[in-house]
Amino acid sequence: MRWATRAHMHIDRVACAWLIRRVVDEDAEFVFVADPAEVPADATAFDMRGVELSHHGGDCSFETILRRYEITDPVLWRIAEIVHEADLDDERFDAPEAPGVDVVVRALGMVCDDVTLLSHTGPLFDGLYEYYRRATLLGREPS
Amino acid sequence: MPGADPDGAGAWVLLTYRLPREPSTARVGVWRKLKRLGVAQLADGVVALPADARTREQLEWLADEVVENGGAATVWDARPGGRHAERELAEAMSEARAAEYRAVADQARSAGLDEGARQNTVRRLRGELRKIGRRDYFPPPERAEARRAVDELAASGEHEEATR
Repeated sequence: MRWATRAHMHIDRVACAWLIRRVVDEDAEFVFVADPAEVPADATAFDMRGVELSHHGGDCSFETILRRYEITDPVLWRIAEIVHEADLDDERFDAPEAPGVDVVVRALGMVCDDVTLLSHTGPLFDGLYEYYRRATLLGREPS
Repeated sequence: MPGADPDGAGAWVLLTYRLPREPSTARVGVWRKLKRLGVAQLADGVVALPADARTREQLEWLADEVVENGGAATVWDARPGGRHAERELAEAMSEARAAEYRAVADQARSAGLDEGARQNTVRRLRGELRKIGRRDYFPPPERAEARRAVDELAASGEHEEATR
């Protein structure tokens, strides 16, 4: 399936792309557009104004996708808190990691195009998933 | 992308919005977010931020939130009609942040207290500085002063421990 989002991705979009590939569509192909009108007819748009998979009711797009596909994995919801705070910074959650993850993604975005950015942030989110999976099992920070 | 060019001075992004009087929770929610973003309030329902990818996106999400709550909102690319107008806007925003930095510096200087309370104060004020920094588009000299005051408060504890 094809998925479309705005070009020059930040934290919410790179996290959504990772999430889509991981739990919704492992063969996902991503298209980056400058304007909502450029979204191809066969693509599902995300993290853009006026589309279903976007910000709704105070949620960021990552949370919207988790809700829309009824994903209850607590590890993904923990990552959602980080993405939410990095993107919206509204203090709904206590996620001290958020500013750090946000800087890393912004910094990579300065030296990579969107396709390269996804290939670098993929392992970052895989690693975060493993970290919080172990943390959930241990009940404390893994070493 | 508009405003992404570091030399592109003069590009601003405006949000014009109208929200129904009720529910007031929606009004308060939007108002809090505008405050957190450090917008310049130009008139009732008209706010401005210097344009960059992030400020534009934040105002777009807010526009969506207004619409979801039964209101109307539009995001505009804008340019103040002259350097003088822009300078006044920047000075007003800078002064608003300066007041916040002064409040942080005052709290740092008046925190005497015991070791535990002092550490908590340092932690809280550093968080406060980070928050102010994110909405500080025209940093005033008070920023350095506030940082120094908090650093001094942090260092005062180490001093006591060393002389103990």
